[in-house]
This record gives sequence, C-alpha cells and structure tokens, in this order.
Amino acid sequence: MLWKLFPLIVSALAAVAGDVHARTPYESTYSPRHSEDVLLRGATVLTGTGERLESADVRLAVGRIAEVGVSLADNGARVVDASGLWLTPGIIDVHSHLGAYPSPSVPSTSDGNEMTSPNSARVWVEHSVWPQDPQFPLALAGGVTTLQILPGSANLFGGRGVTLKNVPSRTVQGMKFPGAKPSLKMACGENPKRVYGAKNQTPATRMGNIAGFREAWGKARHALDERTQAAQTPPEDDKPKKAPAPDLGLDTLIGVLEGEILIHNHCYRADEMAWMIDVGKEYGFQISAFHHAVESYKIADLLAEEGICSAMWADWWGFKLESFDGISENVALVDKAGACAIVHSDSAMGIQRLNQEAAKAMAAAQRQGLSFDEAHAITWITLNAAKALGLDKRIGSIEVGKAADVVLWNGNPFSVYSRVEQVYIDGYRYFDLNDPGRRPVTDFELRQTVNGGGQ
Amino acid sequence: MICSSLRSAFLLNLIIAASLSTAFTGTAHGADYAIVGGTVHTQTNDQPLQQAVILVSDGRISAVGADLAVPAGYEIVAAAGKVVTPGLIDSYSQLTISEIGGEASTVDSQVVAYASGPAFDVRYALNPEATALAVNRRDGVTRAVVAPRPGNDPLAGWGVTIRLSDVEPLVSTDVALFGALGANAAMFTGGSRSALIQRLRRGLQQARGYSTNRYQPGPGDYSHQDLAALQRFLKADVPLVLEAHRAVEIREAVKLAEDFDLQLVVLGGTEAWKESAQLAAAGVPVVVNVLANLPTSFERLGARLDNAALLHEAGVQVLFTGGETQNVRWLRQAAGNAVAYGMPWSAALRAATASPGSVWSFPEGTGTLAKGAPADLVIWNGDPLELSNWPERLMIDGEWQSLESRQTRLFERYQDLSDDNLYYQ
Repeated sequence: MLWKLFPLIVSALAAVAGDVHARTPYESTYSPRHSEDVLLRGATVLTGTGERLESADVRLAVGRIAEVGVSLADNGARVVDASGLWLTPGIIDVHSHLGAYPSPSVPSTSDGNEMTSPNSARVWVEHSVWPQDPQFPLALAGGVTTLQILPGSANLFGGRGVTLKNVPSRTVQGMKFPGAKPSLKMACGENPKRVYGAKNQTPATRMGNIAGFREAWGKARHALDERTQAAQTPPEDDKPKKAPAPDLGLDTLIGVLEGEILIHNHCYRADEMAWMIDVGKEYGFQISAFHHAVESYKIADLLAEEGICSAMWADWWGFKLESFDGISENVALVDKAGACAIVHSDSAMGIQRLNQEAAKAMAAAQRQGLSFDEAHAITWITLNAAKALGLDKRIGSIEVGKAADVVLWNGNPFSVYSRVEQVYIDGYRYFDLNDPGRRPVTDFELRQTVNGGGQ
Repeated sequence: MICSSLRSAFLLNLIIAASLSTAFTGTAHGADYAIVGGTVHTQTNDQPLQQAVILVSDGRISAVGADLAVPAGYEIVAAAGKVVTPGLIDSYSQLTISEIGGEASTVDSQVVAYASGPAFDVRYALNPEATALAVNRRDGVTRAVVAPRPGNDPLAGWGVTIRLSDVEPLVSTDVALFGALGANAAMFTGGSRSALIQRLRRGLQQARGYSTNRYQPGPGDYSHQDLAALQRFLKADVPLVLEAHRAVEIREAVKLAEDFDLQLVVLGGTEAWKESAQLAAAGVPVVVNVLANLPTSFERLGARLDNAALLHEAGVQVLFTGGETQNVRWLRQAAGNAVAYGMPWSAALRAATASPGSVWSFPEGTGTLAKGAPADLVIWNGDPLELSNWPERLMIDGEWQSLESRQTRLFERYQDLSDDNLYYQ
C-alpha cells in the first residue's frame, strides 16, 4: 500500500537500492486473454527475421508461437486454412499519439503536449491516453499489435512515453505492455525553439536547445552521483537515511542514466542528430532511436556505428524546413548502411497502413536499383521496431517462444489491395475481418460512427 | 553532355514560355511518338487495350488502337509488358503556391486579413520552380487543381489549374471559386454554421444585382471588390467548390447550389455517402481524400474507407486528392485503397484521370488517351495503383518529362558516404 501512497519516495529510494520494478509505479494490469490454440496452415510467412517461408504452418499455443514448420500436427489446435494468405508478425509502431491526440480532435481531447516548460520530463503520457479513442481499433484493423505512445515535440523533454498492447481496455493500465521499459521523449530542432522563442523564453535557438539539454542532463548526472554517494555512506546509528527530495522530472532523467528508460529523440536533421549523440556521450546515455529522422541517410554510417535506430516516414517531406531534405530512399539507405531502420507513422491515418508505408519505402529502393524484398522490408515495421522498444526478445518476429502476436493478411501485405483478415495478440484473436463479433468498438463510436470506420 | 543539352532545352522552353500568354495553349512540340505494345487504359472505356499503339503528334494523342500502323517519322517507344495510363490529376492542392508549409514566407495560398474572401485569386504567385512539382511528377502526377485556403472568410477565392511541368505550369485561371462550410470556417462568421450559410446566401443575393453605384456595404457585408468577384463568378461557367463533411452541410450546399443555379463540387465530403442519392441526382461531384477515414471532428463522425466506393455505386462522380500538397502523389495510394474497399479499379483510376480532366478547366480530353486529347501519359512498370510500381516514362503535352527531382539528387549525393566527392556533386 505504501508504494501507492508515496510512489516518489519509494522510487527515489529504489534508485538508491537499484530496484528496477519499484521505479515504475502504475504497473500494467494487462494479462493475456484465455485463447484457444491455433494452427495457421499453409500461409506465406514473412518471419520478421528476413525470411520468407512458402506454404508454412505456424502453431500458436498458450499465447506463444509454439511451432513453425511444414505439415505440422495440430496437437489439438483449431486449424485455420491460411493457404493463399500471408502471415506476418504483429505490426509495431514506435511513434504514435493515439489516445493522447484522439479522434475527435477537439481542444478538450488535446493532451499530447505539456507546452508550459521546455523541460516537462515530469509528465507521463500514459496519464493522457484515452483508451476509448476510436483510433485504436482502426490501428488494430491495420495489423498493429504494439505501439509506443509518445508525448508531443513542443518541449526539449516532452515526458515519458509508454508502450501499449493494442487491446480494448477500460483502463490504460490494462493496455500497458508488461515489463516494457518506459521511454523519454526528447525533441531537437524547430519545435522547441519555435514554441518557447515565441514566448520570449529559452530555447529560442538551436544552441538554446542544446544548452537546455546539457543543463538538465548535468543536473541529473549530479543528482545521481549524490544519490550513489549517499547510498555508499554507512548510516549513522541515530539518524535514518534521508531520501532525496521528490523530483519527478529528475527521476525520469536518472532512470535514463541507469538504463531503465529508453531515449526516443525527435530529430530531423543529420547535424542535430550528431550533436545529440555527443550530448549522450557527455552525460552517459544511449539514444534508442531518432524519430522523424528524415536526414538519417546523410549519417547512416554514424548511426550504424553508434547502434541507434532511425524511425522514419516512407515519404513525408517539406512540410517544414527541417523536413525539406526528406527522400523516399531514406529507409533503404539507412538499412543498407547496416543501421537499424524503422518505418513509423506519427499519424492516426498512417498507423492503419504501415504495410503500405513499408511498401513505398521498398519500391523507392527498388526503383534506384537497391534490392530489398518483402521478407526484409517487413522488419522495418516489426523486429526493428521491437528493437527500439527493447522488446525484440519478446515480440517482432515469428519465432518459437515469442509472443503469439501475428497478423493474417488476405494477400501480400505489400499490395495496396490486401487487407488484414485476423490479428492475434498473445494468441487471442482480437480482430477478424469476417467476424463482426471480433472487431472492438469503443464507447465513443456507439451510435455515432460507422463501426470500424469502414476498415 | 546530358547537363548541357538539358540546359539548352530548358532555355528553349523558357523562350517558348515567354512567348505564351498567361495560359499554356498546348502548342510548339517536337517529335512525333508511337508508344507501342503496352496495356493501355484509355479511360474512354473500362477495358484496357492490349498490346496497343498510341500515336502522339503535335502534343496530342492522334490515334490509339490495337492494330495501328506506325506512320513514317514517328519515334518508336517500346512499351511491351508495360501499363500506359493518362497522367494522374489531383483535384485539390496548393502546388506552386505553398513551398514549405511551416515557412510563411514560402506560402501564398491564404490571406488572413486584407483581401481575404471571394476576390482573392492565387494566380499571381504561382512558382514554376516549386520543388514539389518534380517530386510528384516522378510518381505519375501530371496535372493538378491549385486552390486557395480560407483565410478569414468562408470563401477562399479563385483557383487555377496547372500541369506539373517545369516550364509554364499554368493551364487556366478562373477555374473555380473555393470555400468551406463547417466548424472551422464558421469561426469566420461568429462561430455558427448557420451564420456561415446565411453569409454565403446574402453575399450571392447581393452579387446578383450588384452595381458599383447602388451598393452600400454595411457591417459584415462583403466589400465592393468581393461582390464584384462574386458577380463575376455568377456569370462564369465554373464550379463553386465547398469543403463540407457533415451530411446536413452537404445537403445545405446542394440546396444553395440549386437556389442560385450554381455548379457545385463538394470537397472532402466525409459523410457524402449518406447523401449519395441527392448528390447523384444533382450531378454534384465529390473530391474524396480516401485515406482520411478518421472521425477527427464532430462533423466527420461518419468517416469510412468505402466512401468513394459507395458514392461511385450511387452514380456520383468521384474525384481524388492525395490530400497534401507536398505529396499529391498519394493519390494513387488513395485510389488503390478505394479499390481495396470496393471501388472498381477502372472507376478508381478514372477518379484520378478522366473525371478531374472533365470537371476542371483543362483542355478537352485531358485525363484520357482519346484521339485529340493532350498527350499526358505515364508508362508504368506495372499496375499504377500498386505502390510497389513506378513510372518509367512520363509525358505532358507530348513532351517527355524529367523524372529527376531534388530528392533523387540528394539520393545520388548520399548513396555512397565514403565518396570523397560527396560535397562536389
């Protein structure tokens, strides 16, 4: 009970003690639904590991991928004839604002940007997410099984992001991906300097951006050193140890420095990404992924060397100056350099069709003579995305032992004409094109919208 | 070599362009071409011609058929195994009047104070060097409607049509008067949708009998220049394009058009499927952004992916837009998704070719490969609605267009990061 009442103190103490779990209050209450075992028989399988299996069988049992092969025995599983269909891992979007910027988009639902301070590391976007956002089931109908919700990019430090399972739930806790690390959203470039410059506050320039980052990280590093030092000092007999003063923002930054929170950094321009890499080195943190990284292709070698993923649009460009050099070959060039390439949406429309976004990125590469096929391109929206979320041991590919998050398509998912037939999360069939009873409907939609938005 | 010949071609085109008046008239073309062996979607009937021949002469389609002989002097372009379609046409964009949306100094599509309203006209600010022309042409788009956006009046002003050519993109001025209904536009009329409709009706009523001497604008009335523009519109034979999403507003727009004998085009039309019978009966085309299937506002709660399919089925003329100026190329993704959600393939292609070609002010036959039509065509390496395919060659008014863009130049520059010449390309 105490941790519920005093999460800050407990989490601060936990930092000293190095207890990972106590640092993350508001734990997930998700548990997989009871599901029958299923044998998906005869599909063309894109495994998410770069392989394509023809007429393969995949057996899902107790929420996991139990077997992948040919002519598998059903072992009591319900058999689904998937011949002529395609099977992929569940689609993962590393950049979404669903629930925080829901539909309908009106002032009272606009909860994605705490634009009151350039450092709002203290906020957690999960506290903004509206689980009844009708955009969740639309994304599900597009095959999205896992998504990271991030705060907006008005601030240098936007706050914590959260990884959700795309399951219908009355609470956000019921969607939180158990054991997924939280993230910290940072933003370079035009947005923070525009928002605060317009208020005659810092940052008003790109140098102001970097100074804002360095000051905050310097304080976090200093506080962590103090805490570590205090933990190492033996207690005096008559005085109990004093916990550090509660500071939500600092907790998040310290969580990053201790490797418990992953950095997801909105950063368009190559030169700014290079600066952020250096800021990370100065204060001792690793960036998981640059998001909206439209210029990653200019420093793909550096990103490969540093082990940083790039989360990219297939073809967005030119809507603001820092996106002016966006090119359709970006994803392919990053991948070709050996860096981790991800196609993300940042859009409630795009998230429904990440397969088509990947198809565009693949076609742009082929058009330039670079050879990328479907088996490889699917990794941009599955396994590579899982890597950036620190979940690649659990989801992102069709491999024995991984969670049974899979999507059955009625054709090649890289075809514009193909549609999702079935979506399984932890083995449970959450969506079925041919079964209206298996299409979640949010409260908001009742008697208001066309169920499923026509999906 | 290539560079210098391109440059001289460019100079030649500049000279040609300089000799033209405001609108491109479709003359002064070079070679005659025979495009031979492709699967040709003429848009004059639903079935494609197989292994057909298209003859292009003097910038126009001079003949199309399966068994045509190629006359002497025609340059033969092999298209066996390829798919040939008319060039794609986007029905709503800010191409050439909005370079980078986030940089106000590059945006000329909207006025927020002075000169906003029906008198505003985008024609004087078209930038033929807009980066997005080549980027979108590379993906098969040959023509577009260029429209103003509402600034502080429900009526945004006059739009133009363009071709996605680097030289003299302007095709026609005075192509339509644009405006918007709905909550956003109602902010310009005090916040009520009803007041907005009243303003439009009052303005049109006053414009009917407008004369400079007799009109004394009161508070909230349109200015002299706005009323003169509205009167000009009433006399012109061009559409009023109203963005409308909620079914009841679409109905109000149809009524307004009937009462004032206007040719209406509904833009957006999220809930148009609910009014499809009325729209079909009134002959009102709808510009659909297929991918916008979200209930993003209380006037779009009826959003659905099969909107275009339902409208088509009811007999409404459907036009597509890619939805964003930088990426009007998304219109083939829009068309592809419309097919995935029930629209016949040929109808979906028509919504991006022949239908916009006939609704908007373009030369006769635009959007088709009929005899006499402007020779705007794309040779694709496969089904043009599949995102995995792309244009191999593209022609506008009988001239092959470059498929290079600033983006392909960036690609070429950065495809090899170890190249010592990185900064000298």
